Amino acid sequence: MLGLRCIVGDVVCGGLLRRTCLRPPPLPQLTQRCFLSKGGSGSSARLKLRTRLLVSLLFGGSLLAGCRFVYLEKQQRQRQIRLDQLRKVSLGQGTFSLLDQTGRRRTKRDFLGRWVLLYFGFTHCPDICPEELDKLSSAVSALDQDPLLPPVQPLFITVDPQRDDVPALARYVQDFHPRLLALTGTPEEVQHAGRDYRVYASAGPKDDDGDYIVDHTVLIYLVSPDGLFLDYYNRSKSEEKIVESVKNHIRNHKGLDQ
Amino acid sequence: MSAPNSSERKACWDSRDLLWKCLDDNGDKAESCLKFQGEFESNCPAQWVKYFSKRRDYLQYKAKMETEGFKPAEGPKQPS
Repeated sequence: MLGLRCIVGDVVCGGLLRRTCLRPPPLPQLTQRCFLSKGGSGSSARLKLRTRLLVSLLFGGSLLAGCRFVYLEKQQRQRQIRLDQLRKVSLGQGTFSLLDQTGRRRTKRDFLGRWVLLYFGFTHCPDICPEELDKLSSAVSALDQDPLLPPVQPLFITVDPQRDDVPALARYVQDFHPRLLALTGTPEEVQHAGRDYRVYASAGPKDDDGDYIVDHTVLIYLVSPDGLFLDYYNRSKSEEKIVESVKNHIRNHKGLDQ
Repeated sequence: MSAPNSSERKACWDSRDLLWKCLDDNGDKAESCLKFQGEFESNCPAQWVKYFSKRRDYLQYKAKMETEGFKPAEGPKQPS
C-alpha cells in the first residue's frame, strides 16, 4: 500500500515538477526510503516513519498542487489579457471579398482555420514589394520544413487595383511561393480590405507612359486561424526572425482554445 | 503595360547596382558613368529610374546622418 502510494506520489510529483516552480528537496530521498521500507514489519519506529512520510507527502503534494494551480491561473490570465489587447486593436476584424489570381472569389471567411502571412503591395513595385514577398516566401518555405506545424498561407493583396487585374496577378505570383494567393478587386473592395488593416496607400504622379508608383504601408501581418491579427513584421525583420516569431505564436496559440 | 517579371526586375537591379558602384567609385560624377547610366535606363522602366535616383539620394543622406550625425543649420548670428 505504502509502496503504491509512493509510486503514485512519485509519478504525480514528477509530472508536476517539470512545470512547477517549487522543487521540494526531500522527494528523491523519500522514494528511496519507500523502497527500503517496503515489506517491513510494523515496529513503532517504522510506523513513525510511515506517518512522517505520509504527512510530508500530503504536505508536499498539496503545496505542489497549489503551486501548479497558481501557475495555470496566471497563464490563463496572461492569455486572456493578450486576447483582450488584440481585440482592442481591432485590426483586420472586418471581412473582405476579393478575386484571386485564378479569378476565384475569396473572402476572409475562407481563411479562418488557417495561419496567414499577409502583405499589401503592387506588381509594378520597384524593389520593396518583391523583396518583402521574397522574404515572406522563404519564411513560409522554412515553416513548411517543420512537419509539426500547420501550413501557413501566404497572401498578397494589391493596393493598385487599376493595374493589378487577375491576369497581372497570375503573372506576378509565379515569382514567389507556390502557395501564394494574390487578391484584387474593385478599387472600393481593395480599399475596404486595406482599411481593416489600417494600410496606407497613395498613388504617385503618372509618367508620360502612364506608369506610377504607389506609396504604401510596408508590413507583413500575421493572422491567426480565428482571423485575429496577431503580429506584424516590418522591413528590418529578417526571414529568420519572422520564422521564429510565427513558430512561437503557433505554439502558444494552442493554449488559446483551451 | 505589364509589370516587369522577376528576370526583368533582376536585370534592372543589377544595372542599378553597377551604376551605383560606378558613382561611388567616381565621387558621384555622372559623366564618368554614362555607359552604366544608359544601361540602367534601358533595363528599368522610366518610373523606376526616377524612383531609384531618389532612393540613392535618400540612402546617401541616411548614411551621412548615421556617420556624421545631424548638424542643425546655424541660426541668426545676432539674436533678434
